[in-house]
Amino acid sequence: MVGKKVILLRWIWLLPAVLCTPVFAAEECYTAAATGGAVTFRVMQAGAPYTGTFRSFSGEVCFTQGRITRIDAALDPASVDTGLPELDAALKEKDFFALREYPRVTFVSTSVQSQGDTHTAHGTLEIKGNRREVEIVLRSQPADGKISVSGSLVLDRLQYGIGAGEWTNTKWLGAEVKLDIRATLSRKQ
Amino acid sequence: MAKFRNSEESYGILAQVLHWCVAMLIFVQLPLGVYAANLPVSLARLQWLSYHKSIGITILVLALARLAWRWIDAPPALPDTMALWERRAAHAVHWALYVVPVLAMLAGWLYASAAGLSVNWFGILLIPDLVAKNAELAPLFKALHHGLVGVLVLLLIGHVGAAARHAFLVRDNIVQRMLPAAWWGKK
Ligand code: HEM
Ligand code: HEM
Repeated sequence: MVGKKVILLRWIWLLPAVLCTPVFAAEECYTAAATGGAVTFRVMQAGAPYTGTFRSFSGEVCFTQGRITRIDAALDPASVDTGLPELDAALKEKDFFALREYPRVTFVSTSVQSQGDTHTAHGTLEIKGNRREVEIVLRSQPADGKISVSGSLVLDRLQYGIGAGEWTNTKWLGAEVKLDIRATLSRKQ
Repeated sequence: MAKFRNSEESYGILAQVLHWCVAMLIFVQLPLGVYAANLPVSLARLQWLSYHKSIGITILVLALARLAWRWIDAPPALPDTMALWERRAAHAVHWALYVVPVLAMLAGWLYASAAGLSVNWFGILLIPDLVAKNAELAPLFKALHHGLVGVLVLLLIGHVGAAARHAFLVRDNIVQRMLPAAWWGKK
């Protein structure tokens, strides 16, 4: 009994430091809105580059003293826009994003290394129920009161089951997909 | 014997080879386009459209080569045995058969560019886009491609019909001028 009290007293001087931590090194969180940003993809079709855009995504990015501590992002594959309506429709079906079962693509960071305005995020990307560890390199830049971030990621669509059935053929539809991410972050209220 | 250049009585080897290559490819290209365009979104559609675009670019180059060669090497004059209106009609249709396919192919290329469906020529050579991807312009170019191909089909009906008329009704030597037979024919 006595021993416990002594331990508590011995550490009590740390209390002010613990209480003050949030004040000096507060985590500031920002949200990404789809306006002022886009996620575009690039894939080879019949040997030529083909691009499209996902219009709707959301995310939260937290900084502590300029370093990113956490990224939590989600994308709506339903918002895919290739400019060809019949292709947009096909991408929502089961051979591609299978929207009915998997309405979202998500990324949750496990660790982020920041060096100046360059941030290397490691985390879990989940597409169509398939989870993979990926690395995304992001750059951040202040933009009048907000923060603009951009980054890119190259992935193998087959690892995520994007393009099942005949679409596993990579001669006419390349396996490699390059994602370009641009977002504007505003301070979370 | 065989003449490389056009003579007074017949087309030369180069003009004939180019004419029949273009003719054959256009007759392949028409059903290929209809077939590919009506496939649902599938691997086959990507594949056949890719062939259509590659063959189309090939015809475009051949058609421009034909025009250039025609400028260098004047075609044989049409004989006086043909009425003036016949000669005028033949000239008009021949000119249209140079201009309309070229425009139709440019429209196809514009459509492919605006739709973002860039062309890789038989998987060997990436062909540059004529315009940037543009969802508003794409349907316009597509309609233009279809319309010009429609005009081309009408011209071809007239052209092939006239050739048949010369061969079977008028029975003059007009068709032979575009055939190798002319090289060893009369003389
Ligand atoms: C079965 C198909 C075809 C037949 C039988 C045919 C027949 C002919 C013949 C006999 C001539 C020579 C006329 C003359 O003696 O002055 C000719 C000229 C010509 N043909 Fe065709 N043709 C065919 C397809 C095509 C196609 C698909 C094109 C499309 C571009 C074409 C474009 C032309 C042109 C531009 C000339 C004029 C050549 C010149 O004077 O510079 N023909 N064709
Ligand atoms: C003389 C040459 C050409 C002919 C006769 C031709 C003919 C056609 C025809 C008949 C169609 C189908 C229309 C339909 O049924 O919906 C088509 C579609 C198409 N053509 Fe061509 N074409 C030619 C050249 C080209 C070129 C050079 C390109 C591009 C580089 C091209 C690109 C396309 C594309 C992308 C479609 C698909 C349009 C759709 O999705 O409906 N074509 N063409």
